[in-house]
Amino acid sequence: MIIIGEKINGSIPSVAKAIEAKDEEFIKDLAIKQTEVGADFLDVCASVKDEIELETMKWLIDLVQSVSDTPIAVDSPNAAICAEASQFCNKPGLINSVSLEGDKIEQIFPLIADTKWEVVALLCDDTGIPKTAEQRIDIFKTIMAQAKEYGIAPSRIHIDPLVEMLCTSEEGVLMILDVMREIKKLEPDVHITGAMSNVSFNLPYRRIVNMGFTVLAMQAGLDSAVLDPLDRDLRGIIYATEALLANDEYCMDYIEAYREDIFGIQK
Amino acid sequence: MSKLNEVKEMVQKGRTKKIAGVVQEALDAGADAQEILDAMVDTMGDVGDAFSRDEIFVPEMLIAAKAMKLGLEVIEPQLASGAGEKLGKCIIGTVEGDLHDIGKNLVAMMIKSSGFDVIDMGVDVPVDTFIEKIKENPDVKVVAFSGLLTTTMPALKASVEAAKNCDVGNFKVLVGGAPVTEEYADEIGADGYAQDAGSAVTVAKELIASL
Repeated sequence: MIIIGEKINGSIPSVAKAIEAKDEEFIKDLAIKQTEVGADFLDVCASVKDEIELETMKWLIDLVQSVSDTPIAVDSPNAAICAEASQFCNKPGLINSVSLEGDKIEQIFPLIADTKWEVVALLCDDTGIPKTAEQRIDIFKTIMAQAKEYGIAPSRIHIDPLVEMLCTSEEGVLMILDVMREIKKLEPDVHITGAMSNVSFNLPYRRIVNMGFTVLAMQAGLDSAVLDPLDRDLRGIIYATEALLANDEYCMDYIEAYREDIFGIQK
Repeated sequence: MSKLNEVKEMVQKGRTKKIAGVVQEALDAGADAQEILDAMVDTMGDVGDAFSRDEIFVPEMLIAAKAMKLGLEVIEPQLASGAGEKLGKCIIGTVEGDLHDIGKNLVAMMIKSSGFDVIDMGVDVPVDTFIEKIKENPDVKVVAFSGLLTTTMPALKASVEAAKNCDVGNFKVLVGGAPVTEEYADEIGADGYAQDAGSAVTVAKELIASL
């Protein structure tokens, strides 16, 4: 499972406060902690006013890179910011994200074509988030065709099928799982990702819902996720599920992660 | 010698993808096959001990054994010609009425890794079948009975008695299984008792040393 650490995000109130106060130690600490538990990417999202987004991204990226070698997931709803902020990174990371909305793909794909950068692609377009599985698969096919034109291999693409909220759309969650299975069938090398916590909005004790969904999604093909790498129970569930799905020979990864104190009763 | 240490590390850490290459490097560096075998057997002994001390988990023992098997394949051609030293034959099985085999298989695997020639009779083995097998192999050194159910402990007792009373060869009897205790093993006349797959190796070696 590819873990994209979500903790450095200006939409989280404590992080917004740190950005506002230019609290360098707070940001560095989040980067160090997520690195220590083996995050594969550190997501960096400023979530501030447009005028200061780029400078804030630079400030955050510089801080993260001063304490961690883990690649960065450059996260902004604005593709132009993703493109410019990626230049601050000292090694290839992950662009988060593109979709068929506007000219996002035209801005990002040429930039990363001949690099090792990876990219998250959301299955939505100018008409919004599609209601049906068929529409999402159509968008998927269009994105993959464009990636092919730029020579971007499927293994560099993380498809986010856009997780539905369970509380308003029970059938929607099943539909998303079908979309995941269909994508894996069409393109086995593509990664499937998602924000695991979206599923539980407006429900009590959300973490249990998130964990149940993660297990189901992994069986449907999810192999990348934006989540809190310090959530010990969630990490444990993920390691256990990998082993249960026969993706972990002799449970060695599970045992090793346990020994490294990534999950289990805190040592 | 550092190559031998590397072989040991590959077994201990269960590096199934790397071990064959490292064993070949050890051979190329001048180590002989017997030396490499001894190093791997020693390591499996350590692995068994670590398991007995609850320091490692079952899959870690399994993958170490798999690594050793893969290493063995590399040196086998040389061993066959030079006749590698063996500890002797061990007949093992789960007693009649009992279908449990996970623990028995672990013991068989560890005993095999330690240098015994293992004859695994499987599960639900009648007393007579054990005795026939012993007669077919009069050079057997250890006969090991496993029983996991309290209800099959009488079968364990019958098996031990039959083995002790059969007038064949010179071997020791080892017993084990969840409900079996050292006291019970003594009571039914077994020569040795093993609490787990790791200690089974130690006890089996002690037993043959006393033959």
